[in-house]
Amino acid sequence: MSARVTSIRGKLMTMNLLTSGVVLLITTAAFFAYDVFTFRQAIVRQLNTLGEAIAANSTAALAFDNPEDARVVLSAFKADPHIVAAALYDNSGKLFAAYPASLPAGALPARSESAGYRFGHTELLGFVPVTEGHRKLGVLLVKSDLGAIYERLRLYAVIAAFVIAVSALVAYLLSHRLQQQLSRPILRLAETARAVSDRQDYTVRAASADAHELDVLTGAFNHMLTQIQQSEGRLFAQLARLSLLQHITRAIGDRQDLGSICQVVLRSLEENLPIDFGCVCLHDAATQSLAVNTVGPASHALADELGLAVQSTVPIDQNGLARCLGGQLVYEPDVREMQAPFPQRIAKGGLRSLLIAPLIVENNVFGMLVAARRQAQAFSSPDCEFLKHLSEHVALAIHQTQLNGALQQAYDDLRQTQHTVMQQERLRALGQMASGIAHDINNAISPVSLYTESLLEREPNLSERARGYLGTIQRAIEDVASTVARMREFYRQREPQLTLARINFNQTIEQVLGLTKPRWCDLPQQRGIDVELRTELAANLPDVMGAEGEIRDALTNLIFNAVDAMPEGGTLTVRTVVEDRQQTPQVCIEVADTGVGMDEETRRRCLEPFFTTKGERGTGLGLAMVYGMIQRHSAELEIDSETGKGTTMRLIFPAHTEAFVSTLRLPAPQLVTRRLRILLVDDDPMLIKSLQDTLEADGHVITATNGGQAGIDAFKSVHKGGSAFSIVVTDLGMPQVDGRKVAAAIKGIAPRTPIILLTGWGQRLLAEGDAPPHVDRVLSKPPRLHELRAALAELTA
Amino acid sequence: MALLRALGLLLLGSSLAAAQALAASPAPSEYQVKAVFLFNFSQFVEWPPAAFAGPAAPFVIGVLGRDPFGASLDEAVRGETANGRPLVVRRFRRLEDVDNCQILFIDRSEGARLEEIVAGLHHRGTLTVTDFEGSARRGAMIGLINESSRIRLRIDVAAARAAGLVISSKLLRPAQIVDETAGGG
Repeated sequence: MSARVTSIRGKLMTMNLLTSGVVLLITTAAFFAYDVFTFRQAIVRQLNTLGEAIAANSTAALAFDNPEDARVVLSAFKADPHIVAAALYDNSGKLFAAYPASLPAGALPARSESAGYRFGHTELLGFVPVTEGHRKLGVLLVKSDLGAIYERLRLYAVIAAFVIAVSALVAYLLSHRLQQQLSRPILRLAETARAVSDRQDYTVRAASADAHELDVLTGAFNHMLTQIQQSEGRLFAQLARLSLLQHITRAIGDRQDLGSICQVVLRSLEENLPIDFGCVCLHDAATQSLAVNTVGPASHALADELGLAVQSTVPIDQNGLARCLGGQLVYEPDVREMQAPFPQRIAKGGLRSLLIAPLIVENNVFGMLVAARRQAQAFSSPDCEFLKHLSEHVALAIHQTQLNGALQQAYDDLRQTQHTVMQQERLRALGQMASGIAHDINNAISPVSLYTESLLEREPNLSERARGYLGTIQRAIEDVASTVARMREFYRQREPQLTLARINFNQTIEQVLGLTKPRWCDLPQQRGIDVELRTELAANLPDVMGAEGEIRDALTNLIFNAVDAMPEGGTLTVRTVVEDRQQTPQVCIEVADTGVGMDEETRRRCLEPFFTTKGERGTGLGLAMVYGMIQRHSAELEIDSETGKGTTMRLIFPAHTEAFVSTLRLPAPQLVTRRLRILLVDDDPMLIKSLQDTLEADGHVITATNGGQAGIDAFKSVHKGGSAFSIVVTDLGMPQVDGRKVAAAIKGIAPRTPIILLTGWGQRLLAEGDAPPHVDRVLSKPPRLHELRAALAELTA
Repeated sequence: MALLRALGLLLLGSSLAAAQALAASPAPSEYQVKAVFLFNFSQFVEWPPAAFAGPAAPFVIGVLGRDPFGASLDEAVRGETANGRPLVVRRFRRLEDVDNCQILFIDRSEGARLEEIVAGLHHRGTLTVTDFEGSARRGAMIGLINESSRIRLRIDVAAARAAGLVISSKLLRPAQIVDETAGGG
């Protein structure tokens, strides 16, 4: 028995004993008080009677001054042992006689007091007047001890103690029996409570008690136990669901794609919730249907049976699915009672209860989580709540995955864009620089071109050797001109002015090998290095449409690179192959070396402009130009390289199988028979001189002026003189007054005078339709004599 | 002496203002005490109605012979009553003068004629009081006896009864009773 239970018993007992004890005490005390009061009155009355009797007997003694007699009278008090003293006082208040005789002096008041009775602590004092007839003769003092009262009190105390003791005993015995009726059910209740808490067994119930209140208490206790039992059950279920939710959330947190997220969710649901069927459908807004995206691992068989296999579509009916699409969690306790197609379909699989949770992101239902069980009404309210929460988590996770994907895509796009922009920026800078260089080079080589062409035309006595040299010079100059033209344009896509010609690569390769022989043969030999050349040219190689100069340059660059890659010597292989990769035959040129090769980083960057591995010797433009050419020809470039093993560069061109269409204007030498008066305006003396020489050789009259202003002035002076120039040939780029201003001025003076504009940017002006006003023809530098003649003839016809 | 003084004070208390009495009073004289005694007898003895001359007649205390009291007796009875009758003091020279009188003090000057006086008063309902030696058994009802500086009473009950007077037993308690058969002095 625990201390508390004992205490309840003890308390009941104490209560009973205290109650009866207090009642008895109060009763006894009241009785005491009453008795003491009445007893005191009785004593007073008794004393008064006695006193009055004695007083009556004392009158004569007082009247006749006889104290002895008075003492005799007083001695009558001997009869009452409680009267301890008595005295007579005469009329003046003086002590007359006292009793008992042995009374010590001072034991009595020396003088009488007014009549009446007074209680002291241990005594009762009574003053009784002594009268005879109507005369007062003196006062009798009677002093009684209160022994009688105390005796009585003692007696009463003994009686009260006895009564209380007996009552307590009886009360104890009674309450001992009666309290068991109270304590027993309480103890039983306590034992039940302990049993419940010790064993955590909330199925235990307390037996009902016979007392009404205790019965109510027991009932309330049992009710509480029932409630706790139910709450505990709910709590455990909720905990399990929470744990599952956490488990699933954590699992899908590790997944990065929709498929595996759904897979994890469905598998967890099938195993742990559990459900008998589960799938995730995605909403296709375009077709207003649902596409099954994922089916739970254990639901595949059922899904096939229901026609809900992956990739199958479900039309949205007006019941559950449409409501779910509206963002609601849809729960059908029994699909057999549903008429809509989807519940019917589910019901066919033996499933009864169906729960569809929307997957919502930003108020948009993009899919649904479908869960079903074979029992009807199998989803409890917490289950629904759980699936609702889960669907929110899943939707968020999927959304996050999509966001991640979009972010990655955007990041990649951004990187690509940045790369492109950087590249374009580099090329733009390069292009500007190249334009300037090209202009100067074109000016510089113009005399070479003009004189060479003129020599070849007008000097028939030249030896074959000289003529051959001049031819080579002319080809070189044309290459220079086209190289310069490409230099500022190599980064562009194929431009309209790129003149394509039918090219046989075998011939081009022979030419290039001939031109570059000093680099792959002579120079290495001087350094004691042996570079072996292998050419494997395919017979019957189809022609390719292309700009031969560009291709030649590209091959030259590749050969130089191959040689540079073999500082210790090696084998240079140039090979042409016909491939049949994509229906149309393709022509492939391979330039392979056995040199140092490229590492991955170099291989990746080798096409970038200004990227070079050659230090000061390299410009970083070689392969960039090759790549530009490849792009312009819609060809492909393949690079195979391995560090230490060598590099193979492969240029793949589509073979040209169509009929020959030449866009090249073939040079047709034709001499202008008319003698023309030509105004030549330029700021380059060398160019002026060469143009003047060649045109004068054709029989024209040339007026050469240095600079735009000088040209305008010359034209004005001639115009004033009444004569006129037949045609004006002016440079475009000149300081202060450029070709445009010159043209404008001359047209202002003589609108009919034709004007030819010579420009280092000529091809670009033509291409961009940017021919300045007032100019009749634009020719690029270096000027080809035959083009110039043709233009002169045409404009002055 | 204390008792005497007390007695004097008692006497004075009944006749004088209390202040005067308490101020300074000489010890009461023998006859002052006896005067009070005479008065007190009126309280302890019952007289038959026939003893009075009429219903309105005063209660008379008479002194026969020489008056030893002086003014004491008058002072003792002043303003007092007995049985509703006013108290009066009368002095008689001779027996023949004695008229209606309830208490008669017979001075020793008349002692020689005591028996004669008592006989003369017979049937008159008069309480006779003497204070001289040898008065006992000579017919006087109450004798005031000086005894060791106190005054004691000696009562002849038979004489009083013969005169129709009833003496209170209280008065008898402190007194000597004269027995007819025994000699007394």
